[in-house]
Amino acid sequence: MKTQYKIALFLIVANTFMLIVFGASVYYFLYNYSYTDFYKRLGTRASITAKYNFDTNNKNAESIRIIREQHLEKLSNEKEHISLINSFNDLKLFAEKASLPLSFIKEIYINGKGNLQIENTFYSGTKYKAGNKVYLVIISAENYYATHHLALLKNIIIVGLFFIIFITISLSFYFSKHIFDPIRNITDKVKKISTDNIHLRLEESEKDNEISQLILTFNNLFNRLETAFETQKNFISNASHEFGTPLTSIIGEADVALMKERTPKEYQETLQSILSQAERLNQISQSLLFLAQTGYRENRLNFEIIRTDEIIWQAKEIIDKLIPKNKIQIDFSLLPENPFKLKVSGNKQLLTLAFVNVLTNACKYSNNKTVLVSIASSNHQVIIEIKDQGIGIPESELQFIYDPFFRASNTHQFEGYGIGLPLTRNIIKIHNGQLLVSSVVNKGTSVQIKIPLTQYDGNGVKF
Amino acid sequence: MAKTILIPIDFNPESLNTLKLALKENSISEVDIILMYSEYLTDSITDLLFYSADRIIQSHMTSDFEETISILKNRYETSIKSIKIELFHGYNTTSFKNFIEAKQIDTIYIPKKYTLKLKKKGFNPLPFIKKSGVSVQEIEWDSTFFNS
Repeated sequence: MKTQYKIALFLIVANTFMLIVFGASVYYFLYNYSYTDFYKRLGTRASITAKYNFDTNNKNAESIRIIREQHLEKLSNEKEHISLINSFNDLKLFAEKASLPLSFIKEIYINGKGNLQIENTFYSGTKYKAGNKVYLVIISAENYYATHHLALLKNIIIVGLFFIIFITISLSFYFSKHIFDPIRNITDKVKKISTDNIHLRLEESEKDNEISQLILTFNNLFNRLETAFETQKNFISNASHEFGTPLTSIIGEADVALMKERTPKEYQETLQSILSQAERLNQISQSLLFLAQTGYRENRLNFEIIRTDEIIWQAKEIIDKLIPKNKIQIDFSLLPENPFKLKVSGNKQLLTLAFVNVLTNACKYSNNKTVLVSIASSNHQVIIEIKDQGIGIPESELQFIYDPFFRASNTHQFEGYGIGLPLTRNIIKIHNGQLLVSSVVNKGTSVQIKIPLTQYDGNGVKF
Repeated sequence: MAKTILIPIDFNPESLNTLKLALKENSISEVDIILMYSEYLTDSITDLLFYSADRIIQSHMTSDFEETISILKNRYETSIKSIKIELFHGYNTTSFKNFIEAKQIDTIYIPKKYTLKLKKKGFNPLPFIKKSGVSVQEIEWDSTFFNS
């Protein structure tokens, strides 16, 4: 069933139920009230009648009778039954005379009063003692109100109920149909967007409601998708270019060498050059493989608890071998006193590789100017900042630095093929960390790496 | 005996460089640190009725600033006894002197070159600090770590 019909059905059922409960309770309470009220009226009449019939004070009785006739409305089919009761036999006679059940008469005699309904006629009786004589007075009348007014009320409620239910049904259907209009619109529009026209966006409305948020979310999703598409396109062209350059030079060298007979020395030189190009190819394909491997978020990796400062020292040792002229300064002025605040859970090789990548970049693009590495630790994460004074990254290109094979426009004089940073980011991501790069062209780049601390529990130390 | 030091701040991580260098000088003895933010008190009666220093501090607090404090706390864990942020609402040197007396401040460290980046209603407490008569140390820093 469509959500639309579900909503409509729910609204109809809920409203109908409430209406029926409302109508029924109005009818029920009024019905109850009209009966108790009517018996009360009859009871009053009975006692008044008894008063003016049997009161010993005649003058008083007369005035009561006059008041009753003048002011009390005559009920429909109102009748009085009065009898003097001396013995049990009188009760029987009275019952026969008034054609009432004996039990009712007895009830009045014993309790002093009683009520009875026979079809539409209502009886209310009272016992009256005048001197040593006992009288029973029974007033009967038809409850005009109950028979006519309540019937009318019932009709009104039933007709009204059907009328309102009809309105509810039509409103529910209308409402449930149109509340989904915006969503249906979005569905239609999103259907139209395919890989060919992924630049299309949904129209953003200015209202701030759930629908516009949905549209915004969709548009953001499309933005990311488009970027991913672009990245993929760039990746293929960049990758083929990176692979193509060494291949072309290998083919060229070999071609030239094969043109005519060469001296062994020339062959050696050619082969040497081919070898170095092939090595470069090998390096590229290996780092690509590594990038792909770190891209999967699988738990195959060995995570252990490691100290970040050790990792940095190791990375520095590796750099010392690779780039002996480096000027990396490690600043421990903010190193926490508690060594637990340096421990993160991670893969040693991968983290070292990540730091080596960032440090190599810092040294390479600054022509071995000073690189400052600081370590600090807050209560939740270790923060490592690597600051260089290199050529920087143009602001407009900062968003592309994580694309494989992307190289900033000012890096032509430096060797590299643009896999280091994406790889580093993948590694940091595996460790649930953050990599923040901020840069000013020709001033330098600062890379902040934040890795969450290991949470210690149980062994008495909690951070 | 523990010393109490006061550092004026502006809720920028950069202003905590003063604290960092002050702690470096002082790293042997224990210190209670009071970070003071000076701000004019509001004129609105309803605001005053519902005045809460904690809420004002929370409204200025940034996650960077909090993180920087926790970094420093971790760095000088043994020498820092406590760090508190206090608001100063006074208008003149006398009220500042009272503030100093109430908090039992021993030394005030102020930055030499850095000017506090003040927010709305904030004011620069340096003139009061210099006239307060408590020992004031000016601290100069060249390279900053906290500048994010």
